[in-house]
Amino acid sequence: MKSKMLRPLILNLVTWSLVLLISFPLLWMIVTSLKPQTELFRIPPTWVPETVTFEHYWRLLTETPFLTFFRNSVVLATSTTIFVVGLGTLGAYSLVRFRFRGRETLAMLVLFTYLLPSVVLIIPLYLMMVNLGISNTLFSLILAHTTFALPYALWLLRSFMEGIPDDLENAALVDGASRLGAFKDVIFPQLLPGIISTALFTFILSWNEYLYALVLVNSESVAPLTTGVMTMLISAFNIEWSLLMAASVMMSVPLIVVFAFLQSYLTSGFGAGGVKG
Amino acid sequence: MANVSFTNVRKSFGDFTALESLDLEIHDGEFVALLGPSGCGKSTTLRMLAGLEFPTSGDISIGGRVVNDLAPGKRDIAMVFQSYALYPHMTVGENIAYPLKKRGLKKPERDEAVRRAAELLQLEPLLNRKPKQLSGGQQQRVALGRALVREPRVFLLDEPLSNLDAKLRSYMRAELIELHRRLGKTMVYVTHDQLEAMTMADRIVVMHGGRVQQFDTPDAVYNRPANRFVAGFIGTPPMNQIEGTVQGATFVVNSHRQPIKREAFAASLVDGPAVMGVRPEFVGIHDSGDGLPATVRLAENTGHETIVTLELPDGARIMSRVEAGRKLSVGQPVILRFDPAGIHLFEATENGARLNLDIPVAATLSQSA
Repeated sequence: MKSKMLRPLILNLVTWSLVLLISFPLLWMIVTSLKPQTELFRIPPTWVPETVTFEHYWRLLTETPFLTFFRNSVVLATSTTIFVVGLGTLGAYSLVRFRFRGRETLAMLVLFTYLLPSVVLIIPLYLMMVNLGISNTLFSLILAHTTFALPYALWLLRSFMEGIPDDLENAALVDGASRLGAFKDVIFPQLLPGIISTALFTFILSWNEYLYALVLVNSESVAPLTTGVMTMLISAFNIEWSLLMAASVMMSVPLIVVFAFLQSYLTSGFGAGGVKG
Repeated sequence: MANVSFTNVRKSFGDFTALESLDLEIHDGEFVALLGPSGCGKSTTLRMLAGLEFPTSGDISIGGRVVNDLAPGKRDIAMVFQSYALYPHMTVGENIAYPLKKRGLKKPERDEAVRRAAELLQLEPLLNRKPKQLSGGQQQRVALGRALVREPRVFLLDEPLSNLDAKLRSYMRAELIELHRRLGKTMVYVTHDQLEAMTMADRIVVMHGGRVQQFDTPDAVYNRPANRFVAGFIGTPPMNQIEGTVQGATFVVNSHRQPIKREAFAASLVDGPAVMGVRPEFVGIHDSGDGLPATVRLAENTGHETIVTLELPDGARIMSRVEAGRKLSVGQPVILRFDPAGIHLFEATENGARLNLDIPVAATLSQSA
């Protein structure tokens, strides 16, 4: 009887302490962003700000190019996602539905490029961008993000696609649909959960990416949030903690919103990748 | 007219030949079953007719027009898949309406056609459900509805009953026969279940190893099998095949001499090794007298008959079908006598041709009437 009461108690205790541990940096980020400058380095620290202020947010939005970075990040992550999901869906479709020589080899090769550390690819990519005359543009960054997000997306979508029976498409063909029509009417609705979770993965990957952005782009007008905010607020002599935390909060908001709405699709994506990818 | 013909059709996948030189002539309005064990090429045949596979060589035509290069949707066919292949995200009504939508029919016309199909198959109360919410039998009927709603020239059915339980299957068999009678359309039906083929089809194509073994009526396939494969495939239990030797007017097996009428067999029947085929119902079991000695190994009473497994002294097994309630004990020695009316002789080769003269053997493969 006693152990029956104790078990859930311990489980709850462990779970909540883990949750607190993991969410502490997030909470601290929010708290810090709301404190006035004077309260920032007080010892002992105040857990709840004595005075809540939004001046850091205001300063970021009005006095810095934060909004430019934000717009760049939105364009970058959205374009990358559209590219990757579009190419990945078509690629996965042909890898699953058409029989051609070297099909498996091709799929393995694609996965292999995913295994290469991205640092190895940065310099060649940078040189290619320079030769193409598109270095230091947002477009070059979109291409670069596509190169590292596509292989994983392809494998994820492939495992989703393999779960759709051939007969469904055959039935649509016999019923009078063209191949593209069958894809649109039958395959696509079945694939939608896979497409959504792949899009989420890609968006998050691109939104949070730092290294490529740092190397490939160096002017303020095309920098995304990750590198833009860092170079703006962190210098050798000083770190603008309040502004940094306010920027971090605003950077996280889109992801949190997206997560909240599409969470169930994301977990199904983890499942598909885990079983087959 | 919607006759279907295969002319010299060959299909190979890489090095593997799935079908060698297939010739079939299916008449307008006929119900033809493609019957054979798995891997015999029957599904490939159907998928080529549907346009989902392409023949390596040869021509396929529907209603006199070669359709080799025609997309599946342009062949005026409908197909029912073994898995039913219902579109999971569409309701029953949308599933049935889909082929009509693809042909550009307006919504009121579609609704009317769906209503008629639903009425025919008693699906009206289910039209707004999703396929997942239906039982196997209901899903089956939706698949049929989707096939017949747009009145195609040819129906293709790929093992449509194999996922149903036994009781529902026999009910759906009757429904399909009734449907075929009412629509009068050409139907091509793939199955590995000989009961389905025998009860439903006007004619049966028995296939094995990528070749047509026999194309004939159920009656002919049962009573006049073209070769040893057909004899051994059709019937439960199938025809007994006993190896022996032809000597003049007798067939000798284990020193038992079975009289045969030489004039009833083709001239190619010469003295020497041959195989005698006898259906279990023509094997009589006697206590004494003239005949082939054997031992009872198993007697299975099914209620209306008894299936007896017998063993010859050389170890070969023979099945017999006798009346129910016949008292036979395991190990009991008996004498077998074969009814001369039920004796078939085959060439002694692995898939030897039948040598009886009642139908010309050479004609069975290409018979079309």
